[in-house]
Amino acid sequence: MTKHVTEACRDECLAGLGRAWWTWYADTGSVGVGGGRARHRANQGLLSTPAQLPVVSVVRDVESQLLPNVGAIVTCKVCSINSRFAKVRILYIGSTPLKSTFRGTIRREDSTSCAPCQVEVYKSFRPGDIVLAKVISLGDMQSNYLLSTAENELGVVVAHSEAVAQMVPISWCEMQCPKTHSKELRKVARVQPEFLQT
Amino acid sequence: QYVPVKGDHVIGIVTIKAGDIFKVDVGGSEQASLSYLAFEGATKRNRPNVQVGDLIYGQFIVANKDMEPEMVCIDSSGRANGMGVIGHEGLLFKVSLGLIRKLLTPNCEIIQELGQLYPFEIVFGMNGRIWVKAKTIQQTLIVANILEACEHMTAEQRMQAFAKLSER
Repeated sequence: MTKHVTEACRDECLAGLGRAWWTWYADTGSVGVGGGRARHRANQGLLSTPAQLPVVSVVRDVESQLLPNVGAIVTCKVCSINSRFAKVRILYIGSTPLKSTFRGTIRREDSTSCAPCQVEVYKSFRPGDIVLAKVISLGDMQSNYLLSTAENELGVVVAHSEAVAQMVPISWCEMQCPKTHSKELRKVARVQPEFLQT
Repeated sequence: QYVPVKGDHVIGIVTIKAGDIFKVDVGGSEQASLSYLAFEGATKRNRPNVQVGDLIYGQFIVANKDMEPEMVCIDSSGRANGMGVIGHEGLLFKVSLGLIRKLLTPNCEIIQELGQLYPFEIVFGMNGRIWVKAKTIQQTLIVANILEACEHMTAEQRMQAFAKLSER
């Protein structure tokens, strides 16, 4: 009896929640969702025969969360860098801000379309940069979203220099600080023509 | 507190041996990583003989405030050039960063005068660490004590100390 209930629960949950974690408590007959608040609604006939499968739906307290899809353009902030990849927090999907941030990774070989041996993460991103990237993989439970900036329109949008001033992009790989006029290397996103003032 | 700088030669102590890389304590806020291939004549088959606790003399190839520093024990042409594992004998001690820079100026008097006293081997790390080895333990300790005291002594006091020692 309990087994039928729980299988129905699991299918329902997997269909509706995407990446959100879920657990289910088989003995009490309730469904809980990890990482969020959820209520369950179940038919009263839980103790009925297997022929009448109860319908369980998970209703979250907050409105539904937008999740990044493969191919979506996301705006993220670089948290830390490594010689092999940069860890980022995804803040916006398209133009909608997210209530809870997701974590992403931009690997060294995905940061530009040039050969990976010539690319250095330190010359592409720094902690604190705002980056436009595209989702290339959702990853599994443990790993983060895999992002790529290997296009002209993707890359660093906003960056601050060592003198804590917002830098101005001067080429696809350099940004200049207006205070100290020093140039710093970043993988800069090409500005869309409609945003350029001429 | 030492801040890693690219190109600086430092003395580090191996703390962790993890597969392909060693973690080396260089006295900074983070430990430096050292690849096992970054030694002269090291290949995937021919691994260098480095254990936890060994002293390493190497230079930084990556050292900035955003990433973990990386060091190597070969120079740009692939030769060791004096870098690598430091022998098991001798004494490692710490001095201030300013004293190291003073001692590393060309024709430093202190080192020349010490050299006239006893023959010894010495390695300076820009992170404030010095390794000394002389013929006997007593001589090693004397050299170490003089170097540590050089921080505070004037040139005259140093001359007096050397005079006393060379009398013995």
